[in-house]
Amino acid sequence: MAKVLIPTPLRQYTGKQDTVHAPGATVGEVLNALTTQYPDLRKQLFNDQGKVRSFVNVYLNDEDIRYLSKDSTPAKDGDTISLVPSIAGGSAAVAPPAALSNDEILRYSRHLIIPEVGIEGQQKLKAARVLLIGAGGLGAPLGLYLTAAGVGHIGMVDFDVVDFTNLQRQVIHATADVGRKKLDSAAAKMQAINPHVEITKHETALSSENALDILKDYDIVVDGTDNFPTRYLVNDACVLLGKPNVYGSIFRFEGQATVFAYEGGPCYRCLYPEPPPPGLVPSCAEGGVLGILPGTIGLIQATETVKLILGIGEPLVGRLLLYDALGMRFRELKLRKNPECPVCGEHPTVTKLIDYQQFCGVPRQEPVQEKQETRVNEGEIDVTEVKAKLDRGDKFVLIDVREPHEYKICNIPGAKLIPLGEFPKHVGEFDPNADIVIHCRSGMRSAKACAILRQAGFQHVRNMVGGILAWSDKVDPSVPKY
Amino acid sequence: MIRIDSEPWAAMVSHARKTYPNECCGAMLGVIEDGVKTVHEALPLENAFAGAQAARYELRPEDLLAADRAARARNMDLIGIYHSHPDCDAYFSETDLKNSCPWYSFVVLSIRNGEFHHANSWLPNAEQTEAAKEELSYE
Repeated sequence: MAKVLIPTPLRQYTGKQDTVHAPGATVGEVLNALTTQYPDLRKQLFNDQGKVRSFVNVYLNDEDIRYLSKDSTPAKDGDTISLVPSIAGGSAAVAPPAALSNDEILRYSRHLIIPEVGIEGQQKLKAARVLLIGAGGLGAPLGLYLTAAGVGHIGMVDFDVVDFTNLQRQVIHATADVGRKKLDSAAAKMQAINPHVEITKHETALSSENALDILKDYDIVVDGTDNFPTRYLVNDACVLLGKPNVYGSIFRFEGQATVFAYEGGPCYRCLYPEPPPPGLVPSCAEGGVLGILPGTIGLIQATETVKLILGIGEPLVGRLLLYDALGMRFRELKLRKNPECPVCGEHPTVTKLIDYQQFCGVPRQEPVQEKQETRVNEGEIDVTEVKAKLDRGDKFVLIDVREPHEYKICNIPGAKLIPLGEFPKHVGEFDPNADIVIHCRSGMRSAKACAILRQAGFQHVRNMVGGILAWSDKVDPSVPKY
Repeated sequence: MIRIDSEPWAAMVSHARKTYPNECCGAMLGVIEDGVKTVHEALPLENAFAGAQAARYELRPEDLLAADRAARARNMDLIGIYHSHPDCDAYFSETDLKNSCPWYSFVVLSIRNGEFHHANSWLPNAEQTEAAKEELSYE
């Protein structure tokens, strides 16, 4: 039989005994036997639903059973079960419920008449502080709807300006906003929808240096980023601060959503301990995205955020929701907390924020340079020189490694189209001594193609810096940018 | 009621002053006789709250388990938890209440400008909906 150590205040229910032996093959059975033997103890340890009360942690020897097999954790003779309360607190009042003005009561009336929300729920929304990472595709519906719903304080982190290519999906920005800071554009729309909401603009790139400081003032973090370094950064910061991370991601016709780093639930690293090799997973800018898609995913994130604030329903914890717009299907994958997780596991090795660019194998981004001043390094060639070579009729091969549907949007006459994916198969078709120039849209994919040729022994391979975008800027403005 | 001996009381105040402007937390060990709790020893514990600690504290369950064992080893009991409220009154906040446990006395020390100001002891209920003030004396 395992022995159960009874905390002092509970000994009045066990006939003053500080140690009680109780039979059972599992911890759950032992506790059951114990509270059958001492019925008054039951009310102390279990709530009306028969669940162990939220402030009670059960330890088997030195381990919290939540991290073993919970109630089914085997209990052997000689094992010691301890009941340890979880205690925290602090002067920081969970803000006293903010009274709603008559204007607000009218505005939120369709919330107030839902019994699950009511005045109390609306006050929770008003007292809530939610941080949106990114004011782009996902940030747009999140910002609009969370503001309309009455989330009292919304912070946004972004440092980008609105671009024409954003307008197809980032519905918080208008055509007239192109060139304006996304934060200013988004905040103006949100404030117009609901002047009762307080908006904080964090105009910065989230980094290991500033993340904890920015995140600490919020209750819930919503990740609307589209790059791996920031995703891992947001995840780790949320785990370290104990804040839920409402996650969403989108690509072409598919999206995913879940809530990470929620008490007892898995985190992003439990799902993906390591980032994919750089370049393997394309971003929206590289791969495209159906403009409507971030609306669907962003609103799933908004729904989860509101549910977390209200404390209603079943949060999307431990479940990865997969959305396929073409098939119009939702599927769910079970996610488990990984006890070996380097950040939220039992023996975390990541205990502070690290260098996420390096972790993801992404070179640190250089400060944005004016397009006109793009530097040309060894192995690279400027668009104007390519134009000059074409005009002079130089003997050289120009290869376009984009996809056929991109080629249809615009192309450079004389360029040979070989999509990057098929490129390795075609290496043998070229003369290793030939003068070769490779281009794509912006210069990323062509850099990879150049590397492939150089590895194959080609001597005179150059990457056209800035791709066809630079061509449009500096050579032929009639070529559309996309 | 709860009485705190002079030695543990001095240790608690010194702990609270040392961690100012952050919150401190710890365990109180002692005995209960005829409904009177007497604290004979204060055990400072680490504030494990991940984040700004000026207005928050968190106890590691492992530390509490160790405190309970330490008490048993010395023929005492773990009878209470203390923490400080820097530049605030010694009220039992909503945060305190929602993360409390009805088994113990919760002593809150108000520290103003780095100096002890006043203290209260609280007895939260099992539903974490309210806390009754407990008579507190210290030397």
